[in-house]
Amino acid sequence: MNLEQLKKLKEKAQRQVALREGDKKYRVVFSMGTSGIAAGAREVMTTMLDEIEKRGIEDVEMRVTGEIGLVDAEPCVRVEEKDGEKTTYAKVTAESARKIVTEHLQKGKPVLGLAVGKQKSAE
Amino acid sequence: MFEELSLHILDIAMNSITAGARTVQITVTEDSRRDLMSVRIRDDGRGMDAATLRRVSMTATTTKSNRRKPIGLGLAFLRQTAEMCAGRFQIRSAASAGTTVTATMQRSHMDCPPLGDLNATVLALCAANPAVDVQLHYRNDGHRFDFSSKQDARPAPTVRSRIDSER
Repeated sequence: MNLEQLKKLKEKAQRQVALREGDKKYRVVFSMGTSGIAAGAREVMTTMLDEIEKRGIEDVEMRVTGEIGLVDAEPCVRVEEKDGEKTTYAKVTAESARKIVTEHLQKGKPVLGLAVGKQKSAE
Repeated sequence: MFEELSLHILDIAMNSITAGARTVQITVTEDSRRDLMSVRIRDDGRGMDAATLRRVSMTATTTKSNRRKPIGLGLAFLRQTAEMCAGRFQIRSAASAGTTVTATMQRSHMDCPPLGDLNATVLALCAANPAVDVQLHYRNDGHRFDFSSKQDARPAPTVRSRIDSER
């Protein structure tokens, strides 16, 4: 790895970390307690950070929370919208994490099939 | 149980961030001569009083008072891993004096988990709270790698957009 690649890597990491700041349309909250981590929350988070960065989606901020009490449904990701609408996704995999980014965060359509506590018939 | 030591590190360091730490110092030491693997997470968060400290490495301790069923297995997991691998687990803390968690393992022990994806752990911690200085100090038989998320402060957004427009 040369210096140029390292610089690119650094810029990429900075863009990913910058997802935390500001008043954005979407807030993505990861459940990063012990059960979430054991179920793979870290990989889900890095996959989503990667996908958001790759697609250049900017109206998103990232947050992390601890245990949310849905131990058997981990890894959980909650997408909060500016108008107060909240969607909780359960048992998120790398694949469904990408789908949440492309469908919900990019096109604004919640992936109801993956959400908990929502009417599934709409999809 | 965690399959990687770096997941233990993420879990414990998340506690540090929750405890209001401004600096989280992660030190990983691998020493083949002493057959040692050591992980230390030190923070400057709000720390714990003696009574809490006695409880924490037992199972099911949580700081969330509204929990009917406490979960809180993070420290207990790390303790289990360390003791299973012929190592030791230690936690030091005092109210408003931060917390230091140290776990050592016999590096060649068959139950000793691989270090795993330390990069992903550090990235997740940085993204979890960019205001926290996440430091990683990795030592491997005299080789060393040091990282700090505050190492050179990120330029303010205005500065960055100006640089971008110049390109």
